[in-house]
This record gives sequence, C-alpha cells and structure tokens, in this order.
Amino acid sequence: MTDGDYDYLIKLLALGDSGVGKTTFLYRYTDNKFNPKFITTVGIDFREKRVVYNSRGPNGSSGKAFKVHLQLWDTAGQERFRSLTTAFFRDAMGFLLMFDLTSQQSFLNVRNWMSQLQANAYCENPDIVLIGNKADLSDQREVNERQAKDLADKYGIPYFETSAATGQNVEKSVDTLLDLIMKRMEQCVDKTQASDTANGESSGKLESAKPEDRKCAC
Amino acid sequence: MSEAVDLSFLSDTERDLILQVLQRDEELRKAEERRIRRLKNELLEIRRKGAKRSSQRYSERTCARCQQSLGRVSPKANTCRGCNHLVCRDCRSYSINSTWRCKVCIKEAELKKATGDWFYDQRVNRFANRLGSDVVRLSLRHKPAGRCSRTGEGRGPCWRASGVHLESQSGVSADENETIFKKNPRRILRPADYTKSVIDLCPEDMGSETGSLGDRSKSVPGLNTEMDEEEEDIDNLVEIHRRRTARNSIRSGTSSSTLGSMVSLYSEAGDFGSVSVTGEIAFSLSYELQTQTLLIKVKECHQLAYADEAKKRSNPYVKTYLLPDKSRQGKRKTTIKRNTVNPLYNELLKYEINKSLLLGRTLQFSVWHHDRFGRNTFLGEVEIPMNSWNFESQLEECLPLHGKVWISPQYKGELVVSMKYIPSAKHLGASTSKWEEGGELQVWIKEAKNLTAAKSCGTSDSFVKGYLLPHRNKGTKRKTPVAKKTLNPHYNHTFVYNRINPEDLQHICLELTVWDREPLASNDFLGGVRLGIGNGMSNGQVVDWMDSTGEEVSLWQKMRQYPGSWAEGTLQLRSTMAKGLFL
Repeated sequence: MTDGDYDYLIKLLALGDSGVGKTTFLYRYTDNKFNPKFITTVGIDFREKRVVYNSRGPNGSSGKAFKVHLQLWDTAGQERFRSLTTAFFRDAMGFLLMFDLTSQQSFLNVRNWMSQLQANAYCENPDIVLIGNKADLSDQREVNERQAKDLADKYGIPYFETSAATGQNVEKSVDTLLDLIMKRMEQCVDKTQASDTANGESSGKLESAKPEDRKCAC
Repeated sequence: MSEAVDLSFLSDTERDLILQVLQRDEELRKAEERRIRRLKNELLEIRRKGAKRSSQRYSERTCARCQQSLGRVSPKANTCRGCNHLVCRDCRSYSINSTWRCKVCIKEAELKKATGDWFYDQRVNRFANRLGSDVVRLSLRHKPAGRCSRTGEGRGPCWRASGVHLESQSGVSADENETIFKKNPRRILRPADYTKSVIDLCPEDMGSETGSLGDRSKSVPGLNTEMDEEEEDIDNLVEIHRRRTARNSIRSGTSSSTLGSMVSLYSEAGDFGSVSVTGEIAFSLSYELQTQTLLIKVKECHQLAYADEAKKRSNPYVKTYLLPDKSRQGKRKTTIKRNTVNPLYNELLKYEINKSLLLGRTLQFSVWHHDRFGRNTFLGEVEIPMNSWNFESQLEECLPLHGKVWISPQYKGELVVSMKYIPSAKHLGASTSKWEEGGELQVWIKEAKNLTAAKSCGTSDSFVKGYLLPHRNKGTKRKTPVAKKTLNPHYNHTFVYNRINPEDLQHICLELTVWDREPLASNDFLGGVRLGIGNGMSNGQVVDWMDSTGEEVSLWQKMRQYPGSWAEGTLQLRSTMAKGLFL
C-alpha cells in the first residue's frame, strides 16, 4: 500500500523467457537480496519501490528532485501464461526485456519478445532496456557481449549485462529505463503544449530514496 | 466481450493467486486515483481564481490569470506561449532555459505528467482505454458458489482448499461479462464511475475483508474508466462552472423568491442571492488520528460582500458541514464578528469522524451575515471534497467564495428507474371508477449504484422518496422500503400515481431523492433526480423545480412518447436538489 505521497507513479514490466531471472532480478532491485531458488511465477506479480529522480538542466545544473513510485510488474515466462501476460503489457510505461547469458535460446527469443511488445504495448516503440542476466556465471556463458550489443543497437535500445546474484548493473539498468521514460514524458507534454521549439534537453540522475523517506509504506 | 482472454487453463490456485495480485494492484490504483483527484482539484482551483480561457473574450491589457491591469506592455514579450494570453510577471513560471509559461499552462503540463495522462493519451489509440489488468480481471471473474469464500479469513490462503470443476468455468464467466455490459450500457462511458473505487476504500480501512474479491469484481465495468475520462470530467466541471457563474451574474438581478421554497426544504432558510458574492476564506485542516478528529481552523475572511450595501454592514460568521450530512448535529459555527468584511476568527471547529468515512465527504464552508431579526444573509460558500485533500500539508489555504449556484462536483452514484404511463382508455379501472379518471403513472424504482456511504461502517441504509411536483405533500409522497447496509441497493419497488392526464405530463415533475435512514437523527440526503420536461415552466408559471437535464429529460420524454410501455434509464444522482437552476 502506498500513501499517494509521491510525484509520479511509473509502471515498468519485466519480460523474457522462463528462468532468465526476472523475479530474482526484481527482488534484488527492490529488496537488494538474492534468492537462488527458482520459483516459477504464476502468471503475474508486481513489486514496488520508491526512488528519487533528479531532473537535470542542459548544462548539468541540478533541477528538482521528484519522488517516483515504481510499480514493477513481473510476468511469467512460461508459454502457457502468454495470453495473460501480454494483456499486461499495455499497462506499462517501460520494459525490462531480459534473457539469460547462459542460454542461447533465451537470447534468440528476444526477437519474439520484441514483436510481442510492439503489438501489445501502449505504443509501437515503447521504452525498452535489453538485459542479459546471470553475468556472474561466466563459465557457463553462451551469449557474448558483442552479439547482444549488436541486437540492442539494431533496436536502438540500451543493453546491460546484469547479475541478480551480485547486484551488478541491476540498479543501473532500471535507472536507465526510468530516465528514458521521464524524458519521453517531458517530450510528450512539450509536444502537446505546442510552442517549445528548442526544448531544454533534460537528463536525470537517480538515487535510491533515503531510508527515512521510505518509512514503512511498502 | 471480444477482448476477454481465455484463461480457462488456469487452475483454481493460480486463479486465486492472480486475483490477489490484481487486488494489490487495485489498492495501488486507488491511492493513485486519490492523488490524481487531488492534483486535478488544485488545477480547478487555479483556473477558477483567474480563469481566462482561450475561448472567452476578455479585456486586453489585463493579466489573464490574476486580472491585474498590465498597463503598457509589449504584447510579444508578455504572451504565454502555452495559451497565448497576456500574463503579468507574478503569474509566470520560468524554466531552466529561461523561457516561461503562465501558471495555468505550467500546472496543466505538470498535471499531464503527474497523472500519467501523457501515457494514457497514447495508449487510448491502441486499446480504447481498457486496462490490461481489468481485461484479465474480467476474464477471471465469477467465482462459482462452490468455492471457498474469502470472507472473514482475511488474506488466509483458503484457496488451497479448492480444486473443483474448472473446465466449465470459462464459458460461464464469458456469459457473465456479457450480461454485465448489457445491463449497464451507459456505465462504461461514465466518467464519474471513477469515484467508485474511492467509495470502495471504506471497508478496507475498517479492517474488514468482507466481499473482497467477489464484490470487487462486480464493479468491474466501472473500473475500466480511465484518467482521461477523468480529465473530461474535470473539464466538464470547469465548463459547467463557467456557465453557472455566467448565469449567476444574470440572475443576481432577479428575485430570489423562487429559490426560497426549495432552499428551505433542503437547507436552512435564509436570504440567498441578494448579494453578489465576493472575497475568500483562509483556513487550514488537519486530521488527528488518535482521536479520529478533523480539525478545521477558520482563520479569517477577506473582502466579503456587504449584506447591507447601503449601510456598508456585514456581521459575518462561518458555518461548516461535512456534506452530505446537513443535519443539525453536523453543523459547526464560528462566532459572529460585528461590522466587518474582513473578519478575523482564528477558531477551531472539530468533527469526530472516521478517516475513511471522511474521505467520502465534502467539507462546506458557508459565510453568513447574522441579522438580529433572524433573516441571515448568505455571503458565499466553498466546498472541498475530502478525498482530494492533502492532510499532510497543514498549510493555510485561501479559497475564493462562490455563490449558491455552484454545484459540488461530487459523484453521488446512479439510480435505475423504469417508468410507464398508461392513458385512461387502456386502463381497466377507468370505466368503473371516477377516481380512475385520467391515466396512471407507474414508477418502478429498480436499484441504485455507488451510493455514498453515510454510516461509519462504510455503507448506507437507503430508501427512495418520491414526490410528484408541484405537489410536495402527503398526497404525492411515496417511499420504498429501506435497503440496509449496501451502497448498491435493489429496491424493486413501484410508485403509482393515478388520475394523470397525458397533457399533465408536461406540467408535472417527478422528484426522486435517495436518503440514508438515521432512526435517531435526521436522514442523510444521498442524491436525487428530477424527471420532467425541464423547461422551467409549469402551467404557465416559471418554476424552479422544472429543471431536469440530459438523461432526466430524455427518459421522461421517452415515457411520454410510448404510452403503455416501460422506459428505463440510469440516472446520475444530483448531489443537491437545492440548486433548482439547471436551465
């Protein structure tokens, strides 16, 4: 439960093959803990986290700090839940598309997930971050970085190699996605308010909400 | 439902797990809805204060926001790029790259971001605003009776006991969806359904888990309403408000006597409309959780109108209600300040009320001139829906007062009514009894939806009362039995009025009001409708009660048009009957 004491509610969604580590990844992100056990997600779930987003002016001057409440949807990777999970795509403002660096098949399926997204997200080109998870298992690696990077470039999306086990890049990848969304939001609003031609490129920087800000809300 | 997903493959356990997730999501959404409501109210307030909009004409050389004179300024440098109005320096907000927009444009842009409208506006192109989680919820809907009920168990994992018939389910739930949508063809479009979930909040806060999933899913058609419908709602209100204020200025010259009769019935007697309202009220609110008390600090008023323009006199006091409760017990007053239009009160008014119940109320301040001879004069009022108030901020607020005609934006629910007019010739009794001369009007009060909770347990014991105006007396008074402990009561009760000629139908008006029964106090008004032709006239006279609009008129006309057959409609309940100024 939240108290509504935030400036933005941003909804993200993690998707990808079964077993790539979506749930574990999100658990690391929200609770900074690692659970090595594999518990298959039943259809759909979500976690929440409060962060502070700092908007930045064009010259790096620090702007306002906003309280952002993140709702992180976790979807089942299993094929049998597909009709259910894709229904949730439309509710998300940005996507964490994940594959397993130790599974070539999960990487090959990224294309399929991309087309699922294009068909079922709120628009045809939503904000997405490509994530190769389980980077800590280097001896079992089946996907090399170049391959993955090329694919991400092809789609024009950022790519991160992460590890829910060590926490490597977990926060960074989510922050990047949030930043993309916040920028898009600014642009959408600017566009509708016609005028602005040279709109100030604002970029953001994130940091986790301080413990005292979080209280016991979630 | 073309959009429904086939989820028949899910096991019982899985279904229940998913429903739990959806319920958590709904809680989050409710908090979000309240937040958005609060934000939009803030915008409304800003617009209301200055409010030159692009569609209106205004004198040049004044700031579009604060109406201050601008003197000689270059139009180019002082025009807001958002709305193209001239705006003074005080009403601007500069961004980092030293461009500026006016306060309203800035607020609108902020709102678009904060409410997520930037996102929903795009999504609507693809999905017509149906939430994915609602699609799934709909598809999962309908829990067969054989299953365990969640009541009382809280979050206990009673679904583990499950395991019966699963295959048949999908078919059932699809049908069920269809009937829901057929039954409420209009509901889907209705913006105000939005508040439904706010109403839903009450039981939750009370710590009772009753009817969590089952009941909740019943409200699904209302749940898919979206933020931009809300936007529409607000815009609508702004529009209504604008029309009303315009009308108000026209009316202020006319006699207020037509209002008197109405007002005295539903509100207090007094002199309305004789002064044109000015000024504002400064106050702050806080809520004390330990004592469950709302504390209203009435600080002061500024620039009130003179009750007696000639003598330049006003003896103002402030009165509050937590609407819909307009009972004597619900009234609080400050002291009377003599001979001032800038009274300083610094007085504390208290209401002991449960927080969840409070969120369903609207705080109304009204300012009155006290007259020694008992005829007090209305000096203005302002309403604040409590569900949009930010209790964390205990800052002092200063809101402009407005006249009586302003309609509170509260959504009060709906009333489903079926009516039939049977002309005398077709009526069997006509030939036998003189009393049966003329036709018969049958009013079938079917049900109400989403009523306001008037009792602390988050429900209401409601009934419907009917009068056939112009006769507001025992002869035309009808009542349904009381439907206890529900906000969605099924009355299924018929009122019958005899001896009505077809031509009477354009001179009478059926007034239906919904009340919460309070055995030891006065009943609480929950909402009402007036059904008639709505032209403001009856038998050649101007009357204030012939004020039906929209669906109220069309339902009445449909009934007139097809004698002998039922005309059914779902009517939005008005939040007050006192206004009588719908024309």
